[in-house]
Amino acid sequence: MNKQYNVQSTKYKANQSCPLLTPDPGRPIPNQRSGKPMLFALSCTLYSVLCTMLFAPPAFSMNGREVYEKVHEVRSRALDRETEATMILFDKGGGKRTRTLTEYSKKADPEAYKVLVVFKSPPDLKNVGFLIHAHTFSDRDLWAYFPEYKRIRRIPNSSQDDSFFGSDFSYDDFGGPPNLDDYKFSIEKEEVIDGKPCYVVEVTPKIYRKYTKYIAWVAKDLWIHVKIEYYQDKDLYRTGAFTDIRIIDGIPTPFRIDMENKKTNHRTELTIGSIRYHTHFPDDLFSQRSLERAGK
Amino acid sequence: MIRLQVANFALRDVTPGSEGPLLPPAGRLFTIVILCLSSALCVLASVSPSFADDALPVSGRLDLRGVEALDRDSVKEDPSLEGRIKLDTAGPEWRFHSWLEGGLDGSVKRPARDHSLLKNYDEVYQSNTPYLEFKELYVTRSAGDLDLRAGIQRFAWGRLDEYPPNDRLNPWDYTQFLRKPLEDRKIGVPSFSATLNEGDWTYDAVLVPVFVPYRLPLPDERWAGSSIASMIAQTLPNATITPQEPDLPGRKPGNSNAGLRMKRVGDIEWALDLFHGYDPKPVFRTTALSINPRGGAFVVDPGYVPDFHKIDVIGMDAAAVRGDLSIRAEAAYTFHRYLNIRRELWGYPAVPAPGVLPLNPIIEQKHDTLDYGIGADYRLFEDGLLTFQAQQTLTLGDVDLLYERKVETILWANLKAGFMNQKIETNLNLAYNPEHGDRMTRANAWYVFSDTWKAGVSYAAFTGPAQSLFGRFSRNDQVEGEFVFAW
Repeated sequence: MNKQYNVQSTKYKANQSCPLLTPDPGRPIPNQRSGKPMLFALSCTLYSVLCTMLFAPPAFSMNGREVYEKVHEVRSRALDRETEATMILFDKGGGKRTRTLTEYSKKADPEAYKVLVVFKSPPDLKNVGFLIHAHTFSDRDLWAYFPEYKRIRRIPNSSQDDSFFGSDFSYDDFGGPPNLDDYKFSIEKEEVIDGKPCYVVEVTPKIYRKYTKYIAWVAKDLWIHVKIEYYQDKDLYRTGAFTDIRIIDGIPTPFRIDMENKKTNHRTELTIGSIRYHTHFPDDLFSQRSLERAGK
Repeated sequence: MIRLQVANFALRDVTPGSEGPLLPPAGRLFTIVILCLSSALCVLASVSPSFADDALPVSGRLDLRGVEALDRDSVKEDPSLEGRIKLDTAGPEWRFHSWLEGGLDGSVKRPARDHSLLKNYDEVYQSNTPYLEFKELYVTRSAGDLDLRAGIQRFAWGRLDEYPPNDRLNPWDYTQFLRKPLEDRKIGVPSFSATLNEGDWTYDAVLVPVFVPYRLPLPDERWAGSSIASMIAQTLPNATITPQEPDLPGRKPGNSNAGLRMKRVGDIEWALDLFHGYDPKPVFRTTALSINPRGGAFVVDPGYVPDFHKIDVIGMDAAAVRGDLSIRAEAAYTFHRYLNIRRELWGYPAVPAPGVLPLNPIIEQKHDTLDYGIGADYRLFEDGLLTFQAQQTLTLGDVDLLYERKVETILWANLKAGFMNQKIETNLNLAYNPEHGDRMTRANAWYVFSDTWKAGVSYAAFTGPAQSLFGRFSRNDQVEGEFVFAW
């Protein structure tokens, strides 16, 4: 990833021990029976309060879960859309391949959302389609259609973290927001990236995923990711940067996403050519019939 | 294009040495009309503003292939250069799709008797190079939940791979049988179809008013496999073996093929399939073995002719996801299917001699069969998909004279794996028939250079008895190299 971030960090050291509570070996421990027990107790309490204020983790105005509720709300609002995008896949040898695609999505009631992705190029992938029906934010049906075979195949959910048609994005990246109950969130710190103040949130899945955690930089004023790092245990294996953020119909939209696999040094640059929100597509667009017709 | 087709048909009539029965004039006229209409549609679609909602999207590929036969006795194959051009236009109500394929086919050893460039619907043996073929060419009219489609179509009913028993609407091209994947084996048929979508239900109706026969390789071609003709060729090495072209069923409404399919989408997707029409699986009748000395060689009519019988099929298929498995299953009951008895009962002499020899006139038996199978996809690792499938055919009635056992099984396993973000794509395919002990191994690897160029190497090996599904190609072990340019 070539993007250089302008990072201003506010560092906090949580759990650092309080020197005022550490006994001084040269100083006699006050005897509670010395006649001044109340004064001693009060002093200890004051020390404790002071230490807590100075050295405890910062009191953020909201917790990690609340941050992600905001993110979820923005991602849900962004679900009604049509996107024309180009993915360029760069391998470490300098070779590149290009995929262009159209993504349609809608909020669905009583279901969570529906998504249809149709490839326009390269020739091998032309009119190959991918359909998601999310009954809830954690329960989805997936189908893929390959025009050469004229067959629709159902795909198990276990493929959700796999590479999306050779790119460094996953199938899950093309889905809607996740079920927040499936994750634990904790704010680590605050940072400013490209002039945008961000919460840095560590997100740990409670369910099995390919990653053991990810750290996301969530823009405070926009409630979208501007940077993300995926970890397998302690190893960083995938990073993403969300740039060229524009407000379209009141929805913050990154027009460029760079995703890089740190293990393979392969990266994918996704750029949005055009996007329309509030499309209110009919349900028909997200049917198997539509999948076979490449959304037409 | 139209002029080209007319020229082809004219050429067929005057080609010296033209043998075998031709279709009655009405049947040939019908085929000409279908092809001319199809070509006219193609031209219309490309110029009509009603179709031109998008820019005219054309895509295609060129495929250069070379085959190295591993068996010394095997038929050799010349390099092939084949191409395909697809054209799609879509408007709000009308859509047009065309898929034209053609090129130089290195598997053809001698051109079929009519020398026509465009493959037709009139003949079983039509190995030609160069050739052109419309794999698909249709126009679709959508009105609400209803899609009406007319033209040359391929269908994909059923759920199983390789031999879906409910997939009967398209006959197969056996000229490069096990080398080609299922979708490339299918011959597009002139047909009308209607699809109605009602919520979770989809109803399909298909009518194929023009009978289209399957295509077979000539006996001296690589994928003819082990047959009576190949046995004769071994005994008479300087013989030219030319099988008879069959009389096709008359082209009348009563001889149409028709299918109905009713599908429901849900947690378990399932469908009910009905088919009435001609069995797309090859079966033969006998005439007489004729060996005529001519010069210092022999001209042989092997005395068996493709035969066509109507069948009725009722079937079901289903698919569901359970955990990490994507499962599918299929069953089909076929009424009145004709099967050939074992080859040694056809009446052929051990050592063929010049002259005309009558053969056993009854080499077909009528049976009902039940085909059923189950398959599953399992994600073995990222970009690694393991597919396995077990499929059986139960033949009802007395099977003593058949080569097929009462129950025939095919076990399939396929591992598809991608590496380096799918720059390398590999596929390993194994198939085994436990009743006869025949098996097939196919493997290929592709390297994707760019969006337009890729190259691949394939390997195929077959073993088993001469009449078994895979064993009949036991001399077809091969390595194949391929370059593909796509745009």
